[in-house]
Amino acid sequence: MRTAWFEDMLSLIPPAVFLIASRVSLRRPTAKFPYGYHRATAAGHLIAGAALAAMGLYLLIEALVKLATAEHPTIGTVEIFGHAVWLGWLMLPALLWSALPAVFLGRAKLPLAESLHDRVLHADAKMNKADWLTAVAGIVGVLGIGLGFWWADAAAAAVISLDIVHDGWTNTRVSVTALMDERPISVDGSKHDPLPERLADRLRQLKWVQAVEVRVRDEGHVFFGEAFIVPKDERHPVGRIQEAVRIAREMDWRLHELTVTLVPTLAERRSEAPGDGEASTAARGHDADDEPPRVDRARRRRPQRAE
Amino acid sequence: VLGRRHVLTRFLLAATLLALAGACERIPQDPRGTLDRVTGATMRVGVSEMPPWTQFDDGEIRGVEVELVRRFADELGAEIAWVQGSEAALLEALERYELDLVIAGLTDDTPWNSRLGLTTPYVTTKTLVGVPPASPPPAELAGLEVAVERGDVAAALLREKGAVPVVVADLSAASGPVAADDWWITAQGLRTLSTELQEEKHVMAVPPGENAWLVRLERFLSPLEDLEVRRLLRATAEAEP
Repeated sequence: MRTAWFEDMLSLIPPAVFLIASRVSLRRPTAKFPYGYHRATAAGHLIAGAALAAMGLYLLIEALVKLATAEHPTIGTVEIFGHAVWLGWLMLPALLWSALPAVFLGRAKLPLAESLHDRVLHADAKMNKADWLTAVAGIVGVLGIGLGFWWADAAAAAVISLDIVHDGWTNTRVSVTALMDERPISVDGSKHDPLPERLADRLRQLKWVQAVEVRVRDEGHVFFGEAFIVPKDERHPVGRIQEAVRIAREMDWRLHELTVTLVPTLAERRSEAPGDGEASTAARGHDADDEPPRVDRARRRRPQRAE
Repeated sequence: VLGRRHVLTRFLLAATLLALAGACERIPQDPRGTLDRVTGATMRVGVSEMPPWTQFDDGEIRGVEVELVRRFADELGAEIAWVQGSEAALLEALERYELDLVIAGLTDDTPWNSRLGLTTPYVTTKTLVGVPPASPPPAELAGLEVAVERGDVAAALLREKGAVPVVVADLSAASGPVAADDWWITAQGLRTLSTELQEEKHVMAVPPGENAWLVRLERFLSPLEDLEVRRLLRATAEAEP
């Protein structure tokens, strides 16, 4: 009973955080928060991801303790209309009933999280998944106990908690790296978002642009970024900057704010740390393909000068 | 992830099929096979004295729960091997599967309930205050002198309610109000007051996780009428010297 209560409290965290963060993140910038409140989503994602990981770890440890101490779960009868009915039979429909809403809610939230680019909602959907997985583990456990396997419930819980721990770990990791201004990635953290390269490509097509470098960071549900542009000549700087910003914002609604800077040359700003793999923090127009950045290492190592 | 889910689906399917294959009567099973071992053989029953539920008279084991266990053993065609001891010692042996059943006037709020299998309560008794039917009932419990047997928790409960407990050695010798179990008060022909001092739900204990065994015992206890248990209680009280 206490376990169930603790689990319920944990699974309330992601939806609560989602509701708070999505309100707060829409507030206008103030003197105190000049960049606005978008990072509330990122902070919320960290909390939701940590709650998910905590839930998984809690279930895992509890299950392992039960297995280690060989706890034999006792399930007796309850009297219904004068018959002593084994409680296990009643637990099955109850568990099934508790699993169903979470299945549908979780499935409905995942595509929404994708199109809203809302990672808190994504973590919340994963918490729904954790809820129904736990119920399924309970069903398997009760059936196993009925068949005389005392370890069935704890073993099923342990298996399922691994999946929950994995989801919790992924969400926590993605939220931390996003707070560290990692380049934009998809909400589930599985792949790079190609927006920086596409934007650099698009800006390069402008007649007055000689070279471009773009960097974008994810503030939770919207992107902020900078474009460093080397113009072919120095005419109409204000108009050109405005044009670049307008193009950028038309490309993707998630790109909330782009700061365009006109520079005489592109200074080398990339990290040249050893082992720096595919994760390029910035995208140059001529580097970008349709694919996420796969940069020619030899060329990257050598400092490049703007023509 | 895929592999795990696959195994899980299979297990779930297999378990469901087994359940549906007319196995309903065979579910639940005992991990340690207590029911199968006891049926037609020997039942190891721990008994700790707690009159009127369990009591020892000149080497004879009597009491309400003793009588119930004898009937249960008859149903199973089993012999009873009685083991006497303190409640703690017996329950510890039960937890480690060295006994099959323990009776000791246990109630469902025993601190052992997370470590053992307890039956659902087969009878609920209440500790009440009984007054002689002839005299008019007192208006309130506060300030009332009530006879209580020595060492009975009822004395503390009476004090909480503002009554004055008067400790006596033998309750049946008391002439005024007494605090005792509801069935005893009725058996004495006294009138009960509405104030309830405590409620006790009586259970028996089985080893942890032996679910078939527990369910079999509960199916024996559950059709038992409250009236029958009360009849046994009165019979025990009358048999007292």
